[in-house]
Amino acid sequence: MKIISIYEYPLIQDRPVKKKGLGSKPLATLSSFLKIKLLIVLAFAVMFFSRTPAMAQEKKESSIEMAYFKKADLTKWAVAIVTAKNTDGKFIPAKNARVSFYIQDSNELQLLKNVYTDNKGKALVQLRKEMPLDTGRAFVVVAKIENDSLYEDANEKIRFKEANITIKLNPHDTSRTATAVVTETGKDGTEKPLKDIKVNFYVQRLFGSMPAAEDYSVNTDENGEAVFTYAKGIPGDTAGLLTVAARLDDNEQYGNVENKASTSWGTHLMVEKDPFPRALWEPYAPLPLILTISTLFGGVWLTYFFIFNQMRKIKNDKQVKTGIEQKQ
Amino acid sequence: MVNERLNLEKEIETVREDCLKPTRKWGRSTKIWIGCLLIVIAWGLYCYIHQLRAGLGVTAMRNYVSWGLYISTFVFFIGISHSGTLVSAILRITKQEWRRPITRSAELLTFVSLLFGGIMPIIDLGRPDRIANLVIFGRVQSPLMWDIISICTYFVGSSVFLFLPMIPDMALCRDRLTVCDTRFRKFKKWLYTKMAIGWKGTKSQWHRLEKSMTVMTIIIIPVAVSVHTVVSYIFAMTLRPGWNSTVFGPYFVAGALYSGSAGVILGMAAFRKLYHLEKYITPRHFDLMGRLVLALTLIYAYLNLNEYWIPAYKMATAEGHLLRDLFSGSYSIVFWTLQFGTVLLPIIILSIPKGRKPLMLAITCIIIVLGAWVKRYIIVVPTLLHPFMPIQEVPGDWSSYFPNYVEFSVTAAALAGIFLVITLFSKMFPMMAVWEVEDGIKIEHDKQRAIDIRIQREAEEARSRALETDPGIQPIKPDIIIG
Repeated sequence: MKIISIYEYPLIQDRPVKKKGLGSKPLATLSSFLKIKLLIVLAFAVMFFSRTPAMAQEKKESSIEMAYFKKADLTKWAVAIVTAKNTDGKFIPAKNARVSFYIQDSNELQLLKNVYTDNKGKALVQLRKEMPLDTGRAFVVVAKIENDSLYEDANEKIRFKEANITIKLNPHDTSRTATAVVTETGKDGTEKPLKDIKVNFYVQRLFGSMPAAEDYSVNTDENGEAVFTYAKGIPGDTAGLLTVAARLDDNEQYGNVENKASTSWGTHLMVEKDPFPRALWEPYAPLPLILTISTLFGGVWLTYFFIFNQMRKIKNDKQVKTGIEQKQ
Repeated sequence: MVNERLNLEKEIETVREDCLKPTRKWGRSTKIWIGCLLIVIAWGLYCYIHQLRAGLGVTAMRNYVSWGLYISTFVFFIGISHSGTLVSAILRITKQEWRRPITRSAELLTFVSLLFGGIMPIIDLGRPDRIANLVIFGRVQSPLMWDIISICTYFVGSSVFLFLPMIPDMALCRDRLTVCDTRFRKFKKWLYTKMAIGWKGTKSQWHRLEKSMTVMTIIIIPVAVSVHTVVSYIFAMTLRPGWNSTVFGPYFVAGALYSGSAGVILGMAAFRKLYHLEKYITPRHFDLMGRLVLALTLIYAYLNLNEYWIPAYKMATAEGHLLRDLFSGSYSIVFWTLQFGTVLLPIIILSIPKGRKPLMLAITCIIIVLGAWVKRYIIVVPTLLHPFMPIQEVPGDWSSYFPNYVEFSVTAAALAGIFLVITLFSKMFPMMAVWEVEDGIKIEHDKQRAIDIRIQREAEEARSRALETDPGIQPIKPDIIIG
């Protein structure tokens, strides 16, 4: 069967044959070689184009999980984690999925932002400072995957009330007691204490928060207060300052709410002047070792450069050889 | 006098022709040989690509034995590379005149084995694209870093050491080989012209060349010793039974010189037979090289004894397990075959004058070279299989190792690569340093002339003494005395 394409053979065969230099035989060989190359290109093109539409049609089944965070700086964030089913039937993080975040205002969905997921399938959006609240004084955020070229449509909704945490500390308190007051803003703008809410206490470290003790959860009383006593001798910074945090983690009604405060309860951090002294087992080598290696190999390489220079001089030698000037 | 000069020139011309002859034609057997080597290389490449795509799991190496045949071969090739240093540099510095016909092949063997030896650790990497990280993030304290530095330094040095004595020969090739040789004529002419770097043979050029050769001869010896010492440090500076040894540096150097000189003899024997160089590489060369190998084997045997006898006397726990495995366990047959077959047997054979005849010596050297290769394997693998922490709760095949077809194929390709480069080199360039052999002939000629003059002087003195005692004696013409 003859394959019809824009790369059809006659295009090559119809070319005028140059008679100069090469004979017609080498040119025919060249022509047949080009034909083979074209066939290979054609085969690859067919494979590529035949695969692409099929691949485009296969949308992956996707799923969304959502969370809400209120950080210590009072910013509010909604997070959508998108997973998609792979060929083994397992859900794995879906990257580059377009997630549309909506907020619900009087039964109407308002588009907040379209965000693409990262490599971990995570899409993050900052919510408005004042969110529209429903009759139950809760706000609703919806995340949707709509008309995505890679993933099937999916959606998820979260509904949370807004809570606040205030941390009360006394830096001179030798018992190192932190009181977290959990409140909810009422209709009239007053703060209403929340009872029986589990508050987790943490200490801020360099790369995140560390639970302040083995049992670091305390429930709030009728005043919305959770009292936690920090242990002695927790390392602070060089000034002895310690950042403590109180958090609601995955609360069904209020989501993740956090507040932080600094106090001088920490022990002073002693920073070593030279944390990595030069040694065989440290990142920096001892100077005598560097000097020895540099001297030895530097000496050898200098000798090589001397030889290269001699070779250069041999090359640039302008002397004309005479009968007398031969090697003795 | 004129006759003498003519004879000398004729002899030199014969040397030149004999050296250049192999570069002029590619016989059918050469083509078949190259074809076979290319097939082995292509198969090895295919296996290596398979290893790259599928990972090191396709080899027999596992978590415990992560240095298998590849690293053993690396150490072996680096050892062979000492041949050039020994035969060329040491014999040159000690002014051994008999070295002249064999230096080129020794230097070439150094260059090629270093080239492929340097590739072996890269082949052993699962991600060779990360090799640059070893330099970018390298620690000067690490013996691996020293290894990279010293091998690169030695490679550059041995390349220069090979190239320097080739310059006058390249000029010779440029001036005469292209006239009668039609195959690749243009390419050869271009190559020889470039490699001759404008050599005209002037006095100042000879002076610079000889100065460079002297300097390189001196510098390449410590560099070569440093390379194999540093290779031994890779093992000796890790806490493992069998490698925790202070004698490893000299042990490796001695082993390298012993296997390297045996490699040179094999090269000599091959080129002598293939390129009909019997006139230049004589049984005397084999006899002298045989004596050298004997001396090196004795040194190696002494260090070998130290390497095993001292830990065997103590039988410390971890070392004891390893040594028991070597002496009477799963490696005992190989171990004792190596000790008796490749150390003791060569000592006996080489001690007998008949054992240093070309054929017998070549067979002995094959045994030595093969033994040296297996010995590297015995140094690397059993130690890895006897770590301080016992091998427990791992798949069964992790506690034993034997290279599989991928490793054998890739290693065979590296060996074929060495043979291919040597073959192509010998078909492009003279395998003897023509000018050095010429120099040797001239020196021999001068010596002969000095002897003649001395005889003449003694004859004249005898004649004058005779005339003093009996004035009636007819004077004898000096020409007649010289003959």
